[in-house]
Amino acid sequence: MWIAFSLLTVLAALAVLVPLARSGRAQARAGSAHDAEVYKAQLDEVGRDLDRGLISQEAAVAARTEIARRLIAADQAATRDATGEPGDAGRLRLRVVQMLAVVVVPLAAIGAYLAFGAPDIPDQPLVARLQASTQDRSLPELVARVEQHLAKDPEDGRGWDVLAPVYMRLGRPEDAAAAYAAAIRLLGPDVNRETDRGEALVVANNGIVSAEAHAAFERAVKLDPEAVKPRFFLALALTQENRREAAIAAWQDLLKDARGGEAWAEAVRIELAKLGVETAPAGEPVAGPSREDVKAAEGMAADERGAMIRSMVDGLDARLAADGGSTAEWLQLMRALAVLGDTDRLRQVIARAGEALKDDPAALAQVKSLARELGEGS
Amino acid sequence: MIIELGHFALILAFVLALVQCVVPVWGAVSGDRRLMAVAPPVAGMQFLLVGIAFAALSHAYVTSDFSVLNVVENSHSAKPDLYKITGVWGNHEGSLLLWVLILALFGALVAAFGRNIPADLRAATLGVQGWVTAAFLLFMLATSNPFLRVSPAPMEGNDLNPILQDVGLAIHPPLLYIGYVGFSIVFSFAIAALLLGRVDAAWARWVRPWTLLAWMFLTLGIAMGSYWAYYELGWGGYWFWDPVENASFMPWLAGTALLHSAIVMEKRGALKVWTVLLAILTFSLSLLGTFLVRSGVLTSVHAFATDPLRGTFILGILVAFIGGSLALYAWRAPLLKQGGLFAPVSREGALVLNNLLLTVAAVSVLVGTLYPLALEALTDEKISVGPPFFNLTFGPLMVPLLIAMPFGPLLAWKRGDLAAVSQRLYAVLGLALAATLVTAWAQGTEKILAALGVGLAAWVICGAVAEILSRARFRDVGLSTGLSRLYGLPGSAWGTALGHAGIGITLLGIVAVSAFEEEKVLTIRPGESVEIGDYRLAFGGLARRTGPNYIDDVGHFDIYRGGAKVAEADPAKRLYTARRMPTTEAGIVTFGLSQIYVSIGEVHADGGADIRLYHKPLVTLIWLGCLVMGGGAVVSLFDRRLRVGAPKPARRQLAAAE
Amino acid sequence: MKRDSKMTRKQRRLTMIAAAGTVLAVAVGLILFALNDQIVFFQSPSDIVAKTIPDGQRIRLGGLVAEDSVTRGENAEVRFTVTDTVESVNVVYVGLLPDLFREGQGVVTEGVMKPDGLFYADNVLAKHDENYMPKEVADALKGKGVWQGKE
Repeated sequence: MWIAFSLLTVLAALAVLVPLARSGRAQARAGSAHDAEVYKAQLDEVGRDLDRGLISQEAAVAARTEIARRLIAADQAATRDATGEPGDAGRLRLRVVQMLAVVVVPLAAIGAYLAFGAPDIPDQPLVARLQASTQDRSLPELVARVEQHLAKDPEDGRGWDVLAPVYMRLGRPEDAAAAYAAAIRLLGPDVNRETDRGEALVVANNGIVSAEAHAAFERAVKLDPEAVKPRFFLALALTQENRREAAIAAWQDLLKDARGGEAWAEAVRIELAKLGVETAPAGEPVAGPSREDVKAAEGMAADERGAMIRSMVDGLDARLAADGGSTAEWLQLMRALAVLGDTDRLRQVIARAGEALKDDPAALAQVKSLARELGEGS
Repeated sequence: MIIELGHFALILAFVLALVQCVVPVWGAVSGDRRLMAVAPPVAGMQFLLVGIAFAALSHAYVTSDFSVLNVVENSHSAKPDLYKITGVWGNHEGSLLLWVLILALFGALVAAFGRNIPADLRAATLGVQGWVTAAFLLFMLATSNPFLRVSPAPMEGNDLNPILQDVGLAIHPPLLYIGYVGFSIVFSFAIAALLLGRVDAAWARWVRPWTLLAWMFLTLGIAMGSYWAYYELGWGGYWFWDPVENASFMPWLAGTALLHSAIVMEKRGALKVWTVLLAILTFSLSLLGTFLVRSGVLTSVHAFATDPLRGTFILGILVAFIGGSLALYAWRAPLLKQGGLFAPVSREGALVLNNLLLTVAAVSVLVGTLYPLALEALTDEKISVGPPFFNLTFGPLMVPLLIAMPFGPLLAWKRGDLAAVSQRLYAVLGLALAATLVTAWAQGTEKILAALGVGLAAWVICGAVAEILSRARFRDVGLSTGLSRLYGLPGSAWGTALGHAGIGITLLGIVAVSAFEEEKVLTIRPGESVEIGDYRLAFGGLARRTGPNYIDDVGHFDIYRGGAKVAEADPAKRLYTARRMPTTEAGIVTFGLSQIYVSIGEVHADGGADIRLYHKPLVTLIWLGCLVMGGGAVVSLFDRRLRVGAPKPARRQLAAAE
Repeated sequence: MKRDSKMTRKQRRLTMIAAAGTVLAVAVGLILFALNDQIVFFQSPSDIVAKTIPDGQRIRLGGLVAEDSVTRGENAEVRFTVTDTVESVNVVYVGLLPDLFREGQGVVTEGVMKPDGLFYADNVLAKHDENYMPKEVADALKGKGVWQGKE
């Protein structure tokens, strides 16, 4: 870029310097000589007017005399018009102008440019920007602009579709979920969109599979029964609901599709391990809500369900406070409090779990890691 | 990098313009040829630099580079490519860059083709052009820089007003600007001549082609704008005496006067003082127009975003240039030697009359344009000066001008013989009277004014033809010699005739439309038809059509004449979806020189529509006449004699051989 | 220079000056006459109610188009009310309304008041800019404290 800048500057300076260097002799004749040319043309014109009958013979003679007089005057002026070689004053002028071209022009132009220009901002043609990686450092700003565009034209499904994963990457899962919802509404449902929407909801919900997310995953599975990701989350939901047998079955079902080496398969094994399958030490089964309770909960309206969960949480909390309990129970309480969004109490429970399980480093690690997941890590 | 290069080129152009302001003028005044010689290459470089800046901005538009504020504000990635380019000058900053580009272009043209101009005059002229360029570059860099960046860049722009997304509007501003700004070089010539004390016949001969060039583009630009308003705004009008239209019309009137007074000055050495004044005034009126449009003093379709700083800056430029040049004029003009004398009845006399009437007409337009502004500023009273004012003041001034027009070219220089010229014009007068009588007979005596108008138009057109025929002298030399004489006539003679005939043609169109136009406003339902002129329009109903960025409700009309279907018209009500902006797309069908014009208003629930329907007889002549005038200017420009004084021997031999 | 004219130099000059003077005098006369007679004053509905405007004098009436006031008749006849929120005037217009004519938006109409209290407009203006408020309208409404536009 600076090469082009210098080139232009040099050209500009040369435009001043080159003519200065040339001798004045090459220049055209003095002005009076030009005048003579014009008067000669006028003489011709008088002839034409006479020919056309616009003027009389007499008038033509008079006009010719008049023009001839001017012509003579011009010729005399031309002979007087001898320009001598430049003297001292001329040399001074020359030096001043040369300085102007060599020093002032480049300095002024570059100085002004540095003051007003933005040499650090590259060209950003739209096509190139759209092709460029989304890991661009100005990602949040790009998102803001797309948001502006969507605010004006909220019916642009493609826009929502593009925006949603960017929101996820930026750690704005609620917005991502809403964006996926809009994309689904405008572009129609699709396995990936439903799954990603569900995932966004789960992340937004601190890892808990809510009913809404659950529904999204179910729709995704309906669209593609083979899809791994929605099934993974459905199995996770079962685990979180403490439906142990159903969860184990779901995880194992998922594991059958693994060809080996997949990252998710490893995660499935870990989940199975937590449920005490295969590698698991014989952990005590957690006393969760009974099948009937869950069935009842499913039939309830959201706030009723919230109340039911609250009552179960209170019961569990009281029991743990009074008698202590297993690691799994502490973890369950933490998750439940996170679902209820009761962060103050969640923090207390984390502290109490830390106290109660202080002799079991493995259990402590589990509590800490879940606390981090739930956004309460320290 | 391209954008920043454009920005740098613009700044460098400003710095170079400062050099161009000083060095050549210094050289011209002190007689130093080397300093004078700096002017042409610097003017060329100037054009190159502004050209780079303009290309860089255009590139940013075409590639939708939203890191440029100007692009964000005025473009949209989904806009058709053509309108991405025209969007460059569809806004204040970009159009200003185009303004400066044309300024630099004229400087470069004088540098390239002005070899026959004396070195000192050329240097001083380019120097003065440098002042104008520097002033506008400073204005642009200080208040309206098109290269301001946005970081981080938005992903999408705000789009251009849909009404501006039109081919007509794409061409109109550049033409108009070349005209407007072209007069800057004439202004520079005038100021340079005053500085050097060289105002003579030769000066007039050098100035004329530049005046002609600017005048031609201004004529075409105004005509283009008028036709655009006619077909795009859906009101069926072609001239509204809108202040912005007036802003372009005043320089046209003054420029036309200048074109004529320069002839007197060239041929007879007279009217020097006046011609120089006109050259200054013409460009001053261009500047005034720029000020009115850009300062926010006027609210109009054309007026761009307003900003008090810009208004003040432009006012400063206006005052400095107009005040400075008039002061210089007052100081130097008395030193000019008066040229040849002439009798009141003579070619010169006729041209003086032309100048008098055109200048006074320009003043009446100026008064009509500025009076409401002045009155509001002084008394807070709000008024509008509309067409009635201009019809009453401008019209009567044009009538004597048009009556005198055929006489002018036939009168001899110095002292003409009115009786003899009148004799030559008997046939023309006869034709004009015949045209009047036929019109009165055909249209009824109550339209006697219109008949007289048609007669006047016939008088002007036939007068122009008669002038050419008289030059050929068919009567004296016979047909074949006459034809060869006709062929050998100088371009300027043809230019005069075409220019005058063009005015007549435009006048005929205006008279025909004003007097014989038929207009109907009605509600029409599918299956119904309506008669206008000799035509019957049958309405076929409305249909919805979807365009790239709009939705049309298109009405279909079959047009019948004498029972046979001759054409179809499809006017539409258009809604630009992005901005929810409705526009009216008129349906225009041309029959010969006349047009049927339909536009749709309210659409009714039962499928009917309110329509406005016109039969506009001879309406196309209004713009055809302007084209003829422009053609006259082109022919004149190719007149070999305008290039006289070129010291190249080759050309002399050529001339001798002819 | 030879005196080849029948007139003296002085006479010629006088002729020219007389011709120029005549043209100028006629032009000035025309301009003054036209400025007296052909200009149109801008009025708000309040002005019209307050002042009595001579019958047949053309005026420009500007304000907001009142909500729910537009009724359309046969053959493109439109009736609507122009208001400055203090007073309002009923307007009759036959013709096609401009594209941007909307209820609740600013408008300028030109025409005459008739003794029946209706304003007969023959021209309705709304410029081509969605944010455009005709300047006169904005000023008039500002006077009434209604319009809070950007300064």
